[in-house]
Amino acid sequence: MKSKVFVFISILIVIGTGFCFANGQKAVSDDKVTLKYIYWGSPAEDAAVKQALSDFEIAYPTIKVEPMYLPGDLDGSTYNAKMKALAASNTLPDVGYFRPEEFGNYAEKGYFLKLDDLMTRDGMQESYLPQTWLKIKGNTYGAYSAAECQVMWYNKKVLQEAGIPLPPTDYTEGWSWEEFVSILKKITTDSKGKHPGDIGFNEKDIVRYGVSYDLWSSMYYPSVWSNGGDIIDVDGKTVLVDKPETIEAFQKLADLMNVHHVMPHMTGGTNISPLTMLANDQLGFYVTGQWTLLDLGTMKDLDYGVAALPIMKKPAQIYVSGVNVVFNSSKHPEEAWTLQKWMMDPSKTLDLYTSGLWMPTKQSYYTDANDLAKWLDNDVHPEGFKEAVVDSMAVAVNEPIKIRNINQIWGDYLNSAVESIWIGDKTAEEALTEVAVKIRNSDLLQGSY
Amino acid sequence: MSRTKIGFNTKRQTLWGWILISPLCLGLTLWVAFPMGLSLYTSMTTWDMLSKAEFVGFQNYIKIFTEDELFLKSIKNTLYFTFLSVPLQMVVALCGALLLNSQVKGKGVFRTIFYLPSLIPLVVSSVMWLWLFNHQYGLINYFLNILGADRIQWIDSKEMVIPSLTIMNVWNIGNVIIIFLAGLQGIPNDLLEAVDIDGGRYYHKFRYVILPLLSPIILYNMIVNMIKCLQLFVEPYIMTNGGPVNSSLSFVLHIYNNAFKYGKMGLANAMAWILFILTMLISLIIFKTSNQWTFYEGDK
Repeated sequence: MKSKVFVFISILIVIGTGFCFANGQKAVSDDKVTLKYIYWGSPAEDAAVKQALSDFEIAYPTIKVEPMYLPGDLDGSTYNAKMKALAASNTLPDVGYFRPEEFGNYAEKGYFLKLDDLMTRDGMQESYLPQTWLKIKGNTYGAYSAAECQVMWYNKKVLQEAGIPLPPTDYTEGWSWEEFVSILKKITTDSKGKHPGDIGFNEKDIVRYGVSYDLWSSMYYPSVWSNGGDIIDVDGKTVLVDKPETIEAFQKLADLMNVHHVMPHMTGGTNISPLTMLANDQLGFYVTGQWTLLDLGTMKDLDYGVAALPIMKKPAQIYVSGVNVVFNSSKHPEEAWTLQKWMMDPSKTLDLYTSGLWMPTKQSYYTDANDLAKWLDNDVHPEGFKEAVVDSMAVAVNEPIKIRNINQIWGDYLNSAVESIWIGDKTAEEALTEVAVKIRNSDLLQGSY
Repeated sequence: MSRTKIGFNTKRQTLWGWILISPLCLGLTLWVAFPMGLSLYTSMTTWDMLSKAEFVGFQNYIKIFTEDELFLKSIKNTLYFTFLSVPLQMVVALCGALLLNSQVKGKGVFRTIFYLPSLIPLVVSSVMWLWLFNHQYGLINYFLNILGADRIQWIDSKEMVIPSLTIMNVWNIGNVIIIFLAGLQGIPNDLLEAVDIDGGRYYHKFRYVILPLLSPIILYNMIVNMIKCLQLFVEPYIMTNGGPVNSSLSFVLHIYNNAFKYGKMGLANAMAWILFILTMLISLIIFKTSNQWTFYEGDK
């Protein structure tokens, strides 16, 4: 009998402890305000953010910040899934990073704090790049965490060996597409030392390529815009992907792989990182996001430079980044906004900028010589970075995150259409005309936020 | 008390029975029955996890069959993978188990080697195979190149991507081999000796003793692996993201995209139920036909 009672009590204890854990919230004892800051990123970014947060705690002793770090994933879908779970369970943090493609969706449903009054009060509006503030229906609900864009790195040794003069750095004076292709042909070599166009050139045995373009949606826009094309109009209803200019831009990129053989095939996730190819002298140019400078800067043996992007018809640039928001559910909006301002101030998180990961969103860091020197005068940023990249932000257009369902339009339709162009299955004209019809017939074109 | 009575004979014992199985009942209700019910309900709503769910009846199901062209494509890819993988896995695993069951030197080492891939997390082995399959610098193509053959676009071409994933899947059969091995060791020696005495060769042992006695285990392995294959997700998610041109878009990856990338929980749940029914149907067919070819000891 005693043993039965013992068993019964044990079970009760086990169940009871479970409930305690389920409700296991820390007791808030002192009058300190605790903020939760959510963010993603590489280990280097994590370290820099944690540093900035602890500096913030020192500057504001009454505020405690709990970092919520989610390691980077392939396309942000893990972060999005986490955010949805937090939103559905009413456990959103106070402030932090947000995925740009979901911004409009959440903003519209009232998940973010409206920032306009706070911005006006603190004079934030004018001191930042105009593209930084993200508005939905005239109200500001967030800001880009950084300014990020497309750049073209090159390996100096490879260029010298091919007898190519150092490329232009002024973003308005980039090579024309034809010039660019002819230079790429000089760099590309097979194992017998022959170039594309030479008799006996073996395209299946290339040991050094001219260029590699990152092939994912945001990285297509600068080329498409440079040629005068677009994907979907800002109204979110007009499909422009079958416009002749858009088709031409995609065809030109595909021809680099399939006609000129100056770029390795980069479909799927199967490829060696172009950064590694660049470091191994297997690649002349690499067109990618400017944030790769973080990794490039650590490759001590590689002598790299930055070139102006080639121009199809006019100089173009994209403004991409994660977004920073204050959540409406925060019980301490004032403190959360103070933290957001801190994280937006480049002088508080200078490591993120000097290491090459980010470019500042603050205006003076583009115009003021002192502020420019703070983040550009170092071993990481190559000569010409200001003319080729920093100055090009003057023509940068925001990634079209305000178009409804843009993520699914890419995911379900455009990505596979574009892939079929890259692998030479279809011409750009065939693939894009076909997919344009499909998108028009789908129920995804629902305007913009 | 009469000794023939089995089971609970007092109210008290019944009560204790319930108390003792209550953790399991609670667990099944909370973690299996409730989520399944919720999923079924969600499949009949539009829900993006942010706004309120709206009940739409069977509209999601109708939409999947009439409007979603990736649905058919992903089902086709998944079935292709399953029907390629499962038979191949069975044959290779059975051969492996037969070899490991024979009297060879270093049997333990071989068993470890065959089982080792199963211990590697799928994400890790996916990344590893990504390198092996790499068109330009992969080890497999490197050897092909040395042998004078052309490089193969393993997972970069529409035609090869599913066969490539199958190869990877067949490599990872340690678990299947272990189960086969256990079955092989359960075969009574006297039956095998009887074949020897009758002058039979290895083929006869295999055909008339081993295969029939192993058939329930083949059935088990087949069903379990089929279900695993139908739920193909990690490999395409990590290695190809469904590409090139959606030729490795598995059904579960399609569900994942809809649920977590596009926030269409209702649609995704409806798809999950379609997968459930599909899996059930295929399992049922296998079970129904299995009495034609499985043999249980003790059966007549």
